Amino acid sequence: MATFTITVNGETHSVASGDPDVPLLWILRDRLGLTGTKYGCGVGACGACTVHVDGEALRSCQVPVSAAVGRRVVTIEGLSSDGRHPCQLAWLEQDVAQCGYCQPGMIMEAAAVLAKKKAAPASDFEAALSGHICRCGTYGRMREAVKAVAASGVKR
Amino acid sequence: MSATRRHFLVAGALGGAALVLRIPLFGEGGKASGTGRFAPNQWLRVDADGRVTAVIARSEMGQGVRTSLAMILAEELDADWKTVAIEQASPGPDYAHMSTGGSGSVEGAWKTLRQAGAAAREMLVEAAARQWGVPASACRTEAGQVLHPASGRTLGYGALAGAASALPVPVQPRLKEAKDYRLVGTPVRRVDGPAIVTGRAAYGIDTRVPGMLFAAVAVCPVRGGKVVRFDAAKAKQVAGVRDVVEFEGGVAVLAEDTHAAFAGRDALGAVFDGGANASIDSAQLWSRLDAAAGRPGRPTRTSGDAGVLAKAATRLSATYRAPFQAHATLEPGNCTARVDAGACEIWAPTQSPERVQREAAKLLGIAPEKVTVHVTLLGGGFGRRLDADYAVEAVAVARAAKRPVQVVWSRRDDFLRDRVHPAARVDVAAGLDASGRVVAWEHHATTFHLSMFGAFNPKEDPEGNPWGGYDLPYDIPNLAVSWSEIESPVHTGAWRAVYYPANVFARECFLDELAAKADQDPLAVRLALLGGASPFVLGNQRLDRAGLARVLRLAAEKAGWGSEAPRRPGRRSGRGLACNVYEGSTLIAQVADVSVGAKGDVAVHRIVTAVDCGLAVNPLGVEGQIESGVIWALSYALKGELTYAKGSVVETGFGEYPLLRIDEMPQLETHIVPGHGAPTGMGEMPVPCVTPAVVNGLFAATGKRLRRLPIRPADLV
Repeated sequence: MATFTITVNGETHSVASGDPDVPLLWILRDRLGLTGTKYGCGVGACGACTVHVDGEALRSCQVPVSAAVGRRVVTIEGLSSDGRHPCQLAWLEQDVAQCGYCQPGMIMEAAAVLAKKKAAPASDFEAALSGHICRCGTYGRMREAVKAVAASGVKR
Repeated sequence: MSATRRHFLVAGALGGAALVLRIPLFGEGGKASGTGRFAPNQWLRVDADGRVTAVIARSEMGQGVRTSLAMILAEELDADWKTVAIEQASPGPDYAHMSTGGSGSVEGAWKTLRQAGAAAREMLVEAAARQWGVPASACRTEAGQVLHPASGRTLGYGALAGAASALPVPVQPRLKEAKDYRLVGTPVRRVDGPAIVTGRAAYGIDTRVPGMLFAAVAVCPVRGGKVVRFDAAKAKQVAGVRDVVEFEGGVAVLAEDTHAAFAGRDALGAVFDGGANASIDSAQLWSRLDAAAGRPGRPTRTSGDAGVLAKAATRLSATYRAPFQAHATLEPGNCTARVDAGACEIWAPTQSPERVQREAAKLLGIAPEKVTVHVTLLGGGFGRRLDADYAVEAVAVARAAKRPVQVVWSRRDDFLRDRVHPAARVDVAAGLDASGRVVAWEHHATTFHLSMFGAFNPKEDPEGNPWGGYDLPYDIPNLAVSWSEIESPVHTGAWRAVYYPANVFARECFLDELAAKADQDPLAVRLALLGGASPFVLGNQRLDRAGLARVLRLAAEKAGWGSEAPRRPGRRSGRGLACNVYEGSTLIAQVADVSVGAKGDVAVHRIVTAVDCGLAVNPLGVEGQIESGVIWALSYALKGELTYAKGSVVETGFGEYPLLRIDEMPQLETHIVPGHGAPTGMGEMPVPCVTPAVVNGLFAATGKRLRRLPIRPADLV
């Protein structure tokens, strides 16, 4: 049994696990109670589990907990303190979500694009989101949302 | 308690599209107490601080039902929408028939919830009027307040809650007229939106119960099969695994986290015996369909003279095929359960809470009222979660484990254990007279029974089953529609639009074939066939042909029908259309702009939808369902196909079963006909016409007629 010290949403946690390869996804969900990060496929094909690791949007189902040690992990719960991150606001404004299950992953993906490139065009967001699946098919409104996010990025 | 409090309004007219609902309007309600809380019926409460709680007895799976139903209540109550909170109902005496399916929630609850809100509003007005010593008729309501305009006095609903609680509940409250609606008919954003975008929205898989373990199961994926051996010791060697238990139907590995449970389950090395269905494969499934299609089906609708077809000036026939499909809800199968001391508590993402309650009670040998079902949010439903299999499984595992468990299916489990949309074959034939008019039509659908709904009964009368053949809206004098359903050796179930997609694909594409044969415009052909008696009454359905023609004209006009589809360099462009009446209610027409590249690669550029769904309670929600249904249907038309080998599904991930992604998303345009009267359903209605509109567009572009799904580039080269 090894102990892994990881920083999630600014808080440091020590997690004991007998398996250094346990994906970060399950540490977040089952050990730390951060259930906003979703399990969809476990093989990085759907994007529902996307979180930020040192600012990079990564599939948490593909990140072994041992690889997250010493890095800054941010989940949907930590994206903003008040739920008013530009992506969250744009998603609400456009009423994007249907069942909503994939949306935290989508929002984390879009937020990483915005954070990395101040004036990223909408096409950058769409390219990043094309790795995700929304079975409800909310892509049209998502497109409108990222247009608004892209515009807000230009203004900053 | 007054007599009216116990009055049960049995409203036959409440029937949803597919479900006959008999909901008691005034059940026991919330627990009225001396605390100033007003709970005149089970659908709403007003607290002393003025907050309104709308109780929702339908499952939220993305269709926005918690928003639209609350809007109906709030409208008649004249509540301040900002103060309305949602509470999810659990099965019990007040909430009979909670099943969410058949696109029937809004239609089914429309009358009940209006009456529930209106009754509460009348009581609040009466309470204020008594306090002021004025006639109730001199008062009005607005945004959670009663106003007496003559004196300028106002009282908030919260302040009136205690006094209103003492009043009798009116049995037939006066309902608003549509012209007075303030909320219904306006675009309202989802009540669950803020929770979703911050990760607080709780789905079944997010349930956390003290002392629970995570469980993964080894269950034979073949229908009727079983586990024959497994190695518990190997599973227990996996870090984090706590126990291995056998339960009815399989073996469960209990662990500290889901990952360890999955790994432990894999380590079991479970060996299955598939039983009688162990060797089923796609070829056998299709040959069974083909054999059944070669025998006469059971007639569901016959009119005129069947002999006309044989004598028609021009005769055409064709066979259309649609494959098995997965639900692939993004939240995989899961359920959390606790069993102790003759009682059971279940947290389930379910479309059928009462079925879960009933089947869990049966398994445990206890009364249903000893089973509490908490309905969580659903990460997609689409019909899959009408079955209770995964929930009963969690109950069985919890009983065997003697502690709370959350059973989680991996994505692979979810594909293997889906209740799939069955493949279908539709044989159509038609005769045209010398002028090119369709004078005779045969439609024979052959498909598998939906095992989700119980044992196959070959004697069950299919008459009245709509599904696009029986309820063909066109005025064709000589009709013979028949239905063949066969036992399914694989698990099958309801899927968005159930049997409509394959039948409407065949019907609307074949009509296009006839139009081409007669050298007529596909729009003109349809409009001519919609000129007959309207509404055309068919069993308990009303086929509004004139309304469908209006919707079709609107879609065609907005899409630029009659002008050439936009040209794209190196590609062949085309435009196609289709229309449908869904279960005698929602009218819909769709036009697709498509193009085909040199290698047969298909691009769908634009889908224009026109719909008449009666009163659109939440137009934003209606548009959302159309957008969602179109994308669903495009995955169906362009991508999805499940195949079988050795009794179970071959495709077990998103790589093998691809779904449409944002970069393939066409431009969508939706036009809602200003509706009147009661609302009709929207969840499934946008699905069936998309495929034929696209396929007809591909014909326009290439001259190639596709009769099997999914659309394959090789068929277009």
